[in-house]
Amino acid sequence: MPDPNPLIPLSALGVYFHGVYVSLTFGLPVAIGVMLWKYWKTGDKDYYKAARLMTAVLAVNFALGAINGTLVEFGLVQVWPGVNLAIATFAFAPLALELIAFSNEIAFLILFIVTLGRVKPPVSLAILTVYAGFAYFSGVLITAVNSWMQAPWGVGPVAQVLYPFMPEYGPNAVDVQKLVALKLAAVATGQPISLIIERPGVAQEIGIVLKDPFVILYSPYALVSIFHNIIAATLIGLAITIAGWALRYFKTGDQKYLKIVKPLAGVFAVIFVIQAPIVAHFMGEMVVKYNPTKFALMEGAKETYYNPIKALVAYGDPNKPIVGFDQLREACLSHGNKTIGDLIKALDLPDTLTLQAAGLTVDSSGIASVKLADGHPDTLTLRGTGLTVDLSSIASVRLADLCLQDLQKAEAYMPLINTAYYTKVTFAIIGGLAAAVLFFYFYRAPGLSALATAIARFFGDERRRVFILALLLVLGTVIPAVMGWYVREAGRKPWTVYGLCYPSELVTPVPYSTDPGFLAFAYFVILAVNFGGFFALYIVATREYKFLELLKKGAGVR
Amino acid sequence: MNDAVFIGFVGLGLSVVLHVIFVSMTLGTGLLAAWYRWRAYRQNDPWAELFARKVFKVLIVSELFSGVWGTIITVFLAGFFTALLTLATNTLFIPIAIAIVAIMIRIPAIAISWYTWGKIHPRTHSLVMWIMALSGFGVPFGFRAIFAEINNPMAVGYYLQTGLNPGWMPYANPLFWTLYLHTVAAVISVGGFVAASLTALEKDVRGVKSGLTLGYVFLISQLAFGPLYWYSLDLYSPMLFNAVNTTYGPLFGIKLVAVAALLVLGYMALKSAKAGAIHPATKWLAPLALFTVVAGEVLNDGARYPNMVLAGDTGLPVALFANFYIEIPMPAVYVTLAFLILSLVVFTTAAFYALYRRFIAEVPETE
Repeated sequence: MPDPNPLIPLSALGVYFHGVYVSLTFGLPVAIGVMLWKYWKTGDKDYYKAARLMTAVLAVNFALGAINGTLVEFGLVQVWPGVNLAIATFAFAPLALELIAFSNEIAFLILFIVTLGRVKPPVSLAILTVYAGFAYFSGVLITAVNSWMQAPWGVGPVAQVLYPFMPEYGPNAVDVQKLVALKLAAVATGQPISLIIERPGVAQEIGIVLKDPFVILYSPYALVSIFHNIIAATLIGLAITIAGWALRYFKTGDQKYLKIVKPLAGVFAVIFVIQAPIVAHFMGEMVVKYNPTKFALMEGAKETYYNPIKALVAYGDPNKPIVGFDQLREACLSHGNKTIGDLIKALDLPDTLTLQAAGLTVDSSGIASVKLADGHPDTLTLRGTGLTVDLSSIASVRLADLCLQDLQKAEAYMPLINTAYYTKVTFAIIGGLAAAVLFFYFYRAPGLSALATAIARFFGDERRRVFILALLLVLGTVIPAVMGWYVREAGRKPWTVYGLCYPSELVTPVPYSTDPGFLAFAYFVILAVNFGGFFALYIVATREYKFLELLKKGAGVR
Repeated sequence: MNDAVFIGFVGLGLSVVLHVIFVSMTLGTGLLAAWYRWRAYRQNDPWAELFARKVFKVLIVSELFSGVWGTIITVFLAGFFTALLTLATNTLFIPIAIAIVAIMIRIPAIAISWYTWGKIHPRTHSLVMWIMALSGFGVPFGFRAIFAEINNPMAVGYYLQTGLNPGWMPYANPLFWTLYLHTVAAVISVGGFVAASLTALEKDVRGVKSGLTLGYVFLISQLAFGPLYWYSLDLYSPMLFNAVNTTYGPLFGIKLVAVAALLVLGYMALKSAKAGAIHPATKWLAPLALFTVVAGEVLNDGARYPNMVLAGDTGLPVALFANFYIEIPMPAVYVTLAFLILSLVVFTTAAFYALYRRFIAEVPETE
């Protein structure tokens, strides 16, 4: 079976590129909306031109986001086909609703682009609002699915059975016996889950695994993540937009660009105040509660320690300890000498799992008669679609050993996760300070504006000040997002679905997926398309029309 | 078959048909736009530049929405037909990878072509347009392999029998090549007729002639590719062949009549255009061409019902591939379908204003 390790960075690359475009997709509508509002209220054409230019950038950005979304989507179903089981169960409802969001998002975006400048500003604003609403709704649903991988809401105590340090994840909405049987089948055979679920008729034989298809949507982890991720993405998009206009102001000194930066900086500061102290705090609380290994990794807690400030932020109680891996290991040892065999007995599972899918209605004679190309036998006989898994090979494995082994794998990530987390926090503080300075530089407040102006003067004349502060906004949002996402995704290792599934259980069984040639080709395509896309975005955003003479002549325009 | 499985099959079919309608319009028009944009640059021809831009509006309006339906197909497959999608991804890794690469190049190239028009040198822009146009044909080169395998599971059969990945074997499936040729000729032909119908609305005789020439040449080629595909079905997918000729015979007959009408009306329109006039039937050629595409796709996919996969003389029922891991929440599915219809209405409104009311200007606003 392919080693999943080379495929993880490939998937991550696609996700990161998607994240860049999603951020602009969330931030640009806010910026365009502000411009249209100002145009509507003042009649100043500069605001309309700014809105039009940003709409062109949004359109190219959306296309790039869509293809990277496609890449991520196919990455999931093709490179990680075991995820299809999650899509068919827990993720079914959010992904069905996502179709509503995605299709209407695009339909309203096209309507907005087509009608911009042809209808009155409030009508454009209304269409833009509906578009943005569907775009955010899409973000809500995708984040809900991603959150389930962080905290698999609806499996109740299943993860806790194997890892006693884990909490219960919501109500028990699953058929525990079937879920554990599938997991054990993957462990016993050492093969990805997709080799089980691909078999025609197997789903019918296994039957209902999840009793409440909507359970994923009730997750508190998802609720907080939704606000945290969407606001973070919006801030990044806005920061990049502000920096773009600030760059123009820096280059030209034209006051019309400063006029555009000012309201955008105001909106940015307001949203930042909601994100950093409020939503980020609740996100941290969720990690503490539902991702004990991730929290220990973030805080570098090899051993349990006391830190009143961290404890106050994490638990709201300065006297509580920061739980480290020593305590998590102790929890593993509470299994005593219990084995997987004991678990099999407790769940009343047979020693040998048999899926007789072929015994349903599969008539394989048709396939058996398929003629193949030269070099293959003329006819084939199906090996049968049934599956037999002998669980006795893993029955003697001690649960404590399994638990400790996974903790050890998780702990190996500590230097990276700890560094990434504190880099994130540092840059978020820089971003917050820059936002505050820029806000009070533009909007007068007694005392604070004087302080902001004094700080801003360190950066030189006004053109430099605005540009450098805008650049700090970009650094203060992009770096926390990049690092934060890394902490979120890598911090849940060694599991892909926290406490339930390893990457090796979800990876494709296709052998050449990890072939260096294939990987090199995949990296080349992803990098070439995206860097080409970035360059195109830059051209669309910055370059004037130089080559329209022929077109104007054709259209009879002077 | 329970309600969820049936709705899943119908929803999947609807998504495929809508997706095919849009891609049929955009693949051919993309090729036409790239060709005339290049001619404009090489020959310094203002009309060719304007025509390329007019034709390209079809892509800028509909490509993303077309992509939506591709995503919808994937979600329908993953959600309703988990086993089928998993089997396809584990078996047909290479064709799917080819399609994804083509999508990754095609969609940004469309947006970049439109929004950099006039901002980058015409030579570079022509190159981007060619990349845009040609990459589009990579998408069916990947995905049509899946359709061929569904009707004649050669590579999948090998995989199920041996457990070995079939690699490039899907391209040794003879049904793939006849289907791909039939598809490519169809989409180029439809693109030509769509361009002709659109430019007819603007009384652009030269544009009508250009669109009709492309559409008609490839329609003629279908006189070879269509029967070839039909004959290959007889050889490699006898169940589908029988269904098309019997149960679905009336629809097949209507499709043939539509093709005949397209041939006659297309000839009359082309003759008029060559004489410098626009035949009144020209504007109906695009809807007629699209109808033949829809009919063809319904025959190709719907005629498999109640089976999902056809293997020689045997059909594997839809239920064998269906999702039974949850009780599908039908209210959520109905709400989703209702909102998908809403998105179609919104898109149609946008397309009407963009293409018919000409809200998208050929010359970009520079002030």
